[in-house]
Amino acid sequence: MKQRNVYPFAAIAGQERMKTGIMLTVINPSLSGILIRGEKGTAKSTAVRGLAEILPLLEVIRDCPFHLAPDEGGDCCTECRNGSCRDRRLNGKPAETVKRKIAVVELPVGATEDRVVGTLDLEQALQQGVKYFEPGLLAAAHRGILYVDEVNLLDDHVVDVLLDSAAMGVNTVEREGISYTHPARFTLVGTMNPEEGELRPQLLDRFGLCVNVEGSRDTAERVEIMERRATFEEQPEVFAAKWEETSRELAASVVAARDRYISVRVEKQHLFDIASYCIDVGVDGHRGDIIMLKTAKTLAALHGHTTVTSNDIEEAAQYALPHRVRRQPLQDIIQDVSQVRRAARKNIEGEKNAAGKLL
Amino acid sequence: MSSPCTVTGRIPLQRPLYPFSAIVGQERMKLALLLNAAAPAVGGVLIRGEKGTAKSTTARALAQLLPEIAVRKGCTFACDPARPAEWCAACRDTNRDDSSIVYRRARLVTLPLNATEDMLAGGLDFSATMANGTRAFQAGVLAKAHRGILYIDEVNLLDDHLVDLILDVAESGVNVVEREGLSLRHAARFAIVASMNPEEGSLRPQLLDRFGLCVEVTSEADPAERVQLIERREAFEADPIAFCRTFADEEAALSARVARAREILPTVTLASQLRKYISELAMSRNVAGHRADLVIERASSAYAALEGRDTVNVKDIMEVAEMALRHRSREAVPPPSPPPPDDDNGEESPYRTPPQEPTRTREDGEASPPPAAFPSGSQDLSNQQERQGGFGPAAADALFSIGEVFRVRRLQPVEDRLARRGSGRRIRTRTADKQGRYVRSRDNSGGQDAARDIAIDATLRAAAPYQISRRVATGRDTVVIRRQDWREKVREKRIGSFILFVVDGSGSMGARGRMAASKGAIMSLLLDAYQKRDRLAMIVFRRREAGLLLPPTSSVEVAGKLLREMPVGGRTPLSAALVKAHGTLEPQLLKDPNLRPLVIFITDGKANVPLDERNRPMEEALRLAGHIGIDSRVRWIVVDTEERTGVCFGLARRIAAALGGEYYSIDDLKASHLVGVIKGL
Repeated sequence: MKQRNVYPFAAIAGQERMKTGIMLTVINPSLSGILIRGEKGTAKSTAVRGLAEILPLLEVIRDCPFHLAPDEGGDCCTECRNGSCRDRRLNGKPAETVKRKIAVVELPVGATEDRVVGTLDLEQALQQGVKYFEPGLLAAAHRGILYVDEVNLLDDHVVDVLLDSAAMGVNTVEREGISYTHPARFTLVGTMNPEEGELRPQLLDRFGLCVNVEGSRDTAERVEIMERRATFEEQPEVFAAKWEETSRELAASVVAARDRYISVRVEKQHLFDIASYCIDVGVDGHRGDIIMLKTAKTLAALHGHTTVTSNDIEEAAQYALPHRVRRQPLQDIIQDVSQVRRAARKNIEGEKNAAGKLL
Repeated sequence: MSSPCTVTGRIPLQRPLYPFSAIVGQERMKLALLLNAAAPAVGGVLIRGEKGTAKSTTARALAQLLPEIAVRKGCTFACDPARPAEWCAACRDTNRDDSSIVYRRARLVTLPLNATEDMLAGGLDFSATMANGTRAFQAGVLAKAHRGILYIDEVNLLDDHLVDLILDVAESGVNVVEREGLSLRHAARFAIVASMNPEEGSLRPQLLDRFGLCVEVTSEADPAERVQLIERREAFEADPIAFCRTFADEEAALSARVARAREILPTVTLASQLRKYISELAMSRNVAGHRADLVIERASSAYAALEGRDTVNVKDIMEVAEMALRHRSREAVPPPSPPPPDDDNGEESPYRTPPQEPTRTREDGEASPPPAAFPSGSQDLSNQQERQGGFGPAAADALFSIGEVFRVRRLQPVEDRLARRGSGRRIRTRTADKQGRYVRSRDNSGGQDAARDIAIDATLRAAAPYQISRRVATGRDTVVIRRQDWREKVREKRIGSFILFVVDGSGSMGARGRMAASKGAIMSLLLDAYQKRDRLAMIVFRRREAGLLLPPTSSVEVAGKLLREMPVGGRTPLSAALVKAHGTLEPQLLKDPNLRPLVIFITDGKANVPLDERNRPMEEALRLAGHIGIDSRVRWIVVDTEERTGVCFGLARRIAAALGGEYYSIDDLKASHLVGVIKGL
């Protein structure tokens, strides 16, 4: 089968925040996904595909419907139709494995819940009269990227299921007489156009990161984008070769960051910074704090150091907080978090001054 | 036929839960949960609060503290060995000595939002039925929760028919299954622990009252606590097992405390004067019914038991009373919405009143009524207005802030049994596409398109009893399915509706803060529309024409923004508004003939600009209204903004009558006027 050409991630002009955001979630899937808000045609899906293309290959068990790693196992194995690897493992032998690229699984807007979480295997049920689990898109996305276009148009409970799995790393199915659990650790990338309506606050909050994208306003950059795209379409191989070096470096930095993440340390003082940041801008609940810390650590890892700096924290706020800042009913999501904080700080200072004068 | 299940091949997927004792703060919530663990009779907890406040984490963590209960080996219903009357068939069959009794922790069973009815109540066990050719029952979530806790996350989003089922079983303590040829009953006594985010919509009062206790959670304001919280969470995620080990002692101590409390609970006594005190407490808060008294009594006993005492004192009662009264009281506790103006106790409200916009707003219409406003005593509106020369300069336009925002009563379009497509939450409908909750199956073996959305489980269940005879007849050894077995899925879901707002922006609306109140009403309706996922459009009419300010969209945010910026001034072209509304609805109805739109017409009805100069404006408007109102698919709601004090013209009421629609004043729209404060929760 001929490989479909993918536009190289590194060759995407502009959209720095989106690119970094996607890289962060790929480095650290426990950030539980990124929400990209913005117009059509801003290289959202190109970026996701481009990144998946250059990441290192995964080792998976051969023919495993759940794409398990060789050392993984679970409830799902007991009722898996691929009995051979189970038998091998029970006999103490390692399972056969193959290497493959990171999967980018796309979830269409019309997807039904049974396709997403998986359902009863009809064929087996009818022919053998046995109850086998037919894995859904969540199983397909295990250890890969789940790309959900127009996430705000999805049925609410499908989004619920997605975010649940993204956060827990496990998909639990309880429907149509089957009760089933399988690992589903994936990087969730959701996109939406805010003009078509917002996500529910509860769901919004569960996306770890949120970035706003818009088309470039710079003529020179737009021309650059057009030129690159044109070159790519004329001679994809040549174009890809030209960017290969940069791509490889990028992939290496992602892999290195992933390894470094565990050893990243945070000083106590910075934890206070995070907490006060969240209090200043007004964040509901504590998920913001937790995600912000993780983001700061991931950023530090990506930038190549092992301690979190104030810059990392400031930058992390831009990813972790925009959609969490408390809003008036029906107000739009804020664009600039640090501006909100400055305003809040000013208010506090103002109040302090006023109090000082009174005293 | 070989069974695919090999128990020996089980490779467990370990995922430790966050320990209960490691949760920072949220003392009320933890106490409420512990009370239930110690005394399930307290009747559950409802946890209300903003997102990300460890609601679910805490509830799930409770599972590790539940005391051990005695069950018989092999019993799927967790029958209590001490209650022979409730024993299931398996328990009755086994020998009744104590050898088959084992002890395990009471369970906390989570009900997923996407659960189907047969998962909840139990249904036909597919494998067993197929394998043996006899009907076997597969226990549902309710059976698993027996003698334990049923946990429902986001309970306010749970489908109504599931809620009804749960309530019914919780009330009676027995689950009666009469479906798919099964007929059995089993005991199902459980405490319901549920969490919800009030931003997402309210809970029905009946359900609310079912919860023994109710606690509100908010996020911590203290940076030190927040830091501790993130540190712990980080540590947990880095190495869950090691983290749990550091809290093992505390967990064990807490678990022992709960177990001990259960032991001494039967001996805890409550002095009779305290019982009197409890009922006075409940009465002083105007509580409906007697459940509150009972709950306080049980909860305070549980509290004393948790403290290791066998007598209840006043302090115990004070500790728990608030949790039992908060959601039942009709006074005292400020209703969650609207926030009272003097709301200074930090009560979290789902709706924060939007800030006033002092810079470009005239707060009070009374202070400076726009020139175009006519005197409220005028009798012949149309003519007088005509003479006054309503062509006020543009400078007469005014902006008004958004007034009080409240929870609106339930407004629904015309109901029917048509199947439709879409999503949302306003109306429940049969769905034509394959989405939606599979509520049940129906026999469609003779119908067209029978194979389009087959309910496999039901089909197989229908076929299962005949397998042995059919196999003999056909000589095949696979499942034989005949067309007569085919069952089709009946799906149902709530979809949003289409709501058209027609807003009067004329000068007369500017008088006496009417516009602020109207904007408040519209804002409330918009919030309601958001929660129900409606599509919206907005028409504003003033001066000589009516304009489609907001074309049909799902973005409530845009509507809110437009509302804030909507100016007021000029005359009232009511006829033009009606024509425009009709013109906007027409294409929508053509596109989707099954649509049942809701038109909310906000006006004082003082029409003074006719479409045709020769007509009297009011007569023309009424005639048009009569004409447009013929389409029964559209539901018209006229919201009268006229002040009730002073001289009333009742013009809006006449318009409503002509349209064949309903008539409300702004106050009528408020949900609180209908069912009392508790509905607001």
